[in-house]
Amino acid sequence: MQITRRHLSLAAGMAAAVALTAGALIASTAEAAPATGLAAPDFSGVTSAGETISLSDFAGKTVVLEWTNDGCPFVQKHYTSPPSNMQTLQKSAAADDVVWISVISSAPGKQGFADGARADALTAERGAAPAHVVLDPDGTIGKLYGAKTTPHMFVISADGALAYDGAIDSKATAKVSDIATATNYVTAALADIEAGRPVATPVSKPYGCSVKYK
Amino acid sequence: MMRVYHAVAAAFLGLSLLSPGASAQEGPGRKAEAELISDRASVAPGETIHVALHMTMQPGWHIYWKNAGDAGLPPQLILNDDTGLPDGALGEFMWPLPKLLPVVEGEIMDYGYDDEAVFVMPLKVPEDASGELRLEGVADYLICESVCIPETADVSLVLGVGAPVENQVSGELIGRWIARVPGPFAGEARISDAAAPWTLSLAPEDAFAEGTRVRFFPNGHEISHPAEQPQRAGPGGVSVSLTPDRAGKVGETLEGIIRVEAPGAEPVGYEIRAVRGDVLPGTSDAAVIETAAASAAPVDMRALLGLAGLAFLGGVILNLMPCVLPVLSMKAVGMVSAAATGHAGEIKSHGVWYTAGVMVSFLALAAVILAVRQATGFATLGFQMQHAPTVAVLALIMFGVGLWLMGFFELGTSITNTGSGLASRGGALGAFFTGVLAAVVGAPCVGPFLGAALGAVMSQPAAAVVIVFAAMGFGMALPFLILSFLPGLHKLLPKPGKWMDTLKQAFAFPMFLTAAWLLSVLAGLAGAAAVGWTLAGATALAFAVWVSRGGGNVRKGLALAALAAGFLLPAVQANVPAGAAATVPTLPAYAEGAWSPEAVSAELAAGRPVFVDFTASWCASCQVNKLTTLSTKKVKAAFAQADVAFLVADFTQKDPVIAEELKRRGRAGVPMYLWYPAGSSEPEVLPELLSQELVIGLVEGS
Repeated sequence: MQITRRHLSLAAGMAAAVALTAGALIASTAEAAPATGLAAPDFSGVTSAGETISLSDFAGKTVVLEWTNDGCPFVQKHYTSPPSNMQTLQKSAAADDVVWISVISSAPGKQGFADGARADALTAERGAAPAHVVLDPDGTIGKLYGAKTTPHMFVISADGALAYDGAIDSKATAKVSDIATATNYVTAALADIEAGRPVATPVSKPYGCSVKYK
Repeated sequence: MMRVYHAVAAAFLGLSLLSPGASAQEGPGRKAEAELISDRASVAPGETIHVALHMTMQPGWHIYWKNAGDAGLPPQLILNDDTGLPDGALGEFMWPLPKLLPVVEGEIMDYGYDDEAVFVMPLKVPEDASGELRLEGVADYLICESVCIPETADVSLVLGVGAPVENQVSGELIGRWIARVPGPFAGEARISDAAAPWTLSLAPEDAFAEGTRVRFFPNGHEISHPAEQPQRAGPGGVSVSLTPDRAGKVGETLEGIIRVEAPGAEPVGYEIRAVRGDVLPGTSDAAVIETAAASAAPVDMRALLGLAGLAFLGGVILNLMPCVLPVLSMKAVGMVSAAATGHAGEIKSHGVWYTAGVMVSFLALAAVILAVRQATGFATLGFQMQHAPTVAVLALIMFGVGLWLMGFFELGTSITNTGSGLASRGGALGAFFTGVLAAVVGAPCVGPFLGAALGAVMSQPAAAVVIVFAAMGFGMALPFLILSFLPGLHKLLPKPGKWMDTLKQAFAFPMFLTAAWLLSVLAGLAGAAAVGWTLAGATALAFAVWVSRGGGNVRKGLALAALAAGFLLPAVQANVPAGAAATVPTLPAYAEGAWSPEAVSAELAAGRPVFVDFTASWCASCQVNKLTTLSTKKVKAAFAQADVAFLVADFTQKDPVIAEELKRRGRAGVPMYLWYPAGSSEPEVLPELLSQELVIGLVEGS
């Protein structure tokens, strides 16, 4: 009788140990950003136009998030005209009913910080075409997604799952001439989603300047 | 400013033109200077020499290692096509040992170099070389301060071919930087990825020096770069905890370098190729005290003084804690009677003895905490309340004190002549042990200020911990000390009379209640059997008191045996292996679910605000907050109104995940309250004393 009790408590102890290990596992990944294939975390933010938008507003549509900082040479590489790489991507996304959201997580006083007026002026002078520019000066959204660099790109499929997280393309340089020969991961991910295929490259190592968090 | 800079640049340009055959380039506005150098002024055909890209960065600017970390790019040397060297003649960069470059604390970490770096390459001079060897090309590098600039610098090097002649200046520089290139690690390295965090264990052939710190720099992105790497050491070597990256997986091996810093020595690097497998034995016996990922910060004296001040205030507030008050009141009774029986002079010495008792206990607690920290890598206040035998013995002490207050027995003297008792050494000792008791019972009730001060000091050097604990102890003893030293004040004490006895007896009830509460804590820690044994122990104490009343040696011996058994047996019985009693902690009725980092993320992802209550059944302040705030109708209604997810983290039993979270928020114990407004990722840490207004204000303001 006593022996069985002891066995029971041993079993319970093991269960607790397993639970603790699981807890430690969860804790160690808690700080990590969302993994591709899982639900992208919802966020809400104020746009350059002063309206508040949430990811959930675009349920049922494919969404692209682009972390940007106009002072960063790697961002400049993709906005330089010609070839206007980022602008072209934004326009073709809009044509395919994909919601393109540029996010500025630079803190006040740091490179790339923008208020609504400056963000709109940047969009106009570069001929950019994002659906929205979200201002994230306190870095909340950036840290929620684990955005490390500018540019750092995320693609969220219509069912709200994170489909792509990483660099804009395969050539980690600040040279405009490399754009032509690089594989663009965002274009590829959007094409895979459009065709109903699993995304061939769901994760890559983002490159660029570090996000200028406060 | 610019003018000076140009002058310096011009001087550099002049200098570099003087060095034979090399040309450096530094245009205006450049953040670094790059040049090609060699350990030879002229070379013989067929020999292997060293050339190097020598880079000098402006203060505050840095360039990157071959693995830049979270952001950044490594420098490259791109030779012109017309250099005429056969393929493979010029080897790869030999990367010197990098530094950590924390960009955003805990979020973004880069690896690289500041001030100066020399990237050495072996060069095999072709057999058919003649005349001169000409290397021309560009150094292409990304250089960052808070902003990043990609720069290219034209570099060239011309070497005569003929008799080998050394270039001593450059040769010496190249030699120094080759010495900084991580060499092969003599010993064994293993990576165990069975559980997260992974464990990288290192068993060197020659043992690391005492207090050595190791940092692992991966060649790839398997691990989270900004995560701290807590480490443990043993006779066989060192093991380092590595936090995996999101998609991080270990193949057959994990490769990178380790930066080994022994106290008082230059850092040394080794190349590591860790094979997947179990943790190497003897590498993880005791924790090496960890500082932040950035190198050990010296103790900031001003910050330490501020902490000591806060700890002192916390100590004063401890006097008001429900678990300390009865002990103090007990002392007050003694003082009243001492003043009444003309022993006012004794009061001073008692104040001092009491202070000594408190201080000694707090310093002992500091010593224990340091020892535990040494052994486990973290310590949290109140952990003595998670050690079942300690709880059992404390409950018995409370019960015994209650019996004494009731007048069931006297300690040497009767209450009516406490005065003469005070004159004896027993009185001083009594005062001393009252101090000890107050400290032992009071410490787990973390008052306001205390948690933050302790959390901040927990990872500081031992001296800082001791100072903070001493300040806290002094704060706790001070009110009583003042009372005993200012004759005017104790004149204010009421006249003695029969009420004193009544009061003393009345104080027995809080003691018994405290014992009951400790028993309920014990039940959670070690199960019902341990509670039963403790009650039996209490009976043995009562028996010991009763049997010793008649006097005589036989009875005294019997009493002593009963007393020993009464304390020892419950302690032994309560010492069940951790987890064996594993009762699932029942959540209080007002909570929605158990806290876990995952639960928080899930609720936040669902768009709800989250309130987390870090509590423990042995924490008095937690219970007070629960009664006055968290379980009140108003607060509940406000939570329901705003759809707040109320999560509880129960720290009654040791829980490494909760302990880690407390440490991360800079707290050393419970209570801790975290408030995540909807859509946020980082919480607000609330004060340790809650009010309904505060909580409702937060909820409605979100």
